Amino acid sequence: MEVKVTRELKEEIKVLILESLNIPDVGPEDIADDASLFEDENLGLDSIDGLEIVMALQEKYGVRIDDQNQARFILKSIDTIAEFIAKELSKK
Amino acid sequence: MNKMNDLVIPFEHRMFAHCESGTVTGLLNHGGLPLTEPMVFGISSGILFLYFKTPALPFPTFVVRNFPGQMIRGVSRRLGVKFSTAKYRDQKKGEDAIDALLDKGIPVACRTDFYYMDYLPAYMRAHFNFHYLTIVGRKGSKFLVSDCYSTELAELERESLRKGRYPGGSFDPRGFLFYPVRVPQNPDIDAAIRKGIKAACFNMLRLPVKQVGVKGIRLFSKKIMEWPGMARNEDHLSHEIMKINILLEDQGTGGAGYRFMYATFLRQASEKLNAPALREMSERMMLVGDDWRRISIYAARMGKNHDFGETKFRELSEKIARQADAEEKFFTDLARIAKTL
Repeated sequence: MEVKVTRELKEEIKVLILESLNIPDVGPEDIADDASLFEDENLGLDSIDGLEIVMALQEKYGVRIDDQNQARFILKSIDTIAEFIAKELSKK
Repeated sequence: MNKMNDLVIPFEHRMFAHCESGTVTGLLNHGGLPLTEPMVFGISSGILFLYFKTPALPFPTFVVRNFPGQMIRGVSRRLGVKFSTAKYRDQKKGEDAIDALLDKGIPVACRTDFYYMDYLPAYMRAHFNFHYLTIVGRKGSKFLVSDCYSTELAELERESLRKGRYPGGSFDPRGFLFYPVRVPQNPDIDAAIRKGIKAACFNMLRLPVKQVGVKGIRLFSKKIMEWPGMARNEDHLSHEIMKINILLEDQGTGGAGYRFMYATFLRQASEKLNAPALREMSERMMLVGDDWRRISIYAARMGKNHDFGETKFRELSEKIARQADAEEKFFTDLARIAKTL
């Protein structure tokens, strides 16, 4: 079944990231879909945060991101995460 | 000024999870043997655990794969691939050897210090004398480099490669290079898989050395309780604890200390040997890998927050001990299955 990238999916991912990293002072509306999550002017995440997001995505959607090379590209922004999740869920 | 003619060998550049298995895979594929990276890793029994302390390093550490160079030897022995290897004391001769091979249309792999590979972003690079890459051409004063961590074929100044091949310090590559001179087109891959699995089980369970395999994981779980007393201060302890995350996730491990790559190997082996039991083992190895990843996050958070209470260390130690139990059971079951393959 094909899963599409929707606004709801992106919203869900934003909430998941903020909850799993325990960032209470930022709301989903503060994160632009195409903003780089690792840049200081945005969320300014580090590689450990990245790994936490990887585990949170795995626990919620049952998708595994195996290695850092792959993670570098998938975790770039909400857009790239949503595309990855939709693609992986479509395979199931 | 370099007067060499420009040339590019038609070598398919691809990204891989790990530099040594990726470099060997790229060379074998170029030579007409279409093996995947996890296959190369599994056939050469890449999976391992070793906790150790050496005078060359100021603090105990661990590795989660076999020693550098063993993947090259593993595929040579089990698939009948023949590699030519060389080291050069003289830097010019070392560089001339690369040019001579390129002139013959032969891609050549080198061991380098990762730090000098300046086509990669600075945040990724650190001094590490076991980085493998393949030289596939030259252009002006630069070499064309297929590096499995680079998204595309990279250009590297001759001077940077020279520094990378002769960085000095511990484990200096001394201009080490290698390339396949014989790649069998129809090796007995099934037999190589069986041997690779049996050797991995032996290494993880039966090597009579307390630092290696499951015994090594248990030693790690015990010794980590001594780390706070060994560190110079809190910052040093934080640095060492955060290295657990780096060693498991950031060193081209394919994730979770190569456990995910080994799981992929078992899945592919299951298809190749038509052995459903290996598929189940692959799924189990993925779960073992998930728990290593949880340990990695736990340790990284401890280090980042300087959260060094005895309870935290005790919990970390217990998590690692549970991994020893899980891997002991896993490799015992895998060894039993390997006898039936």
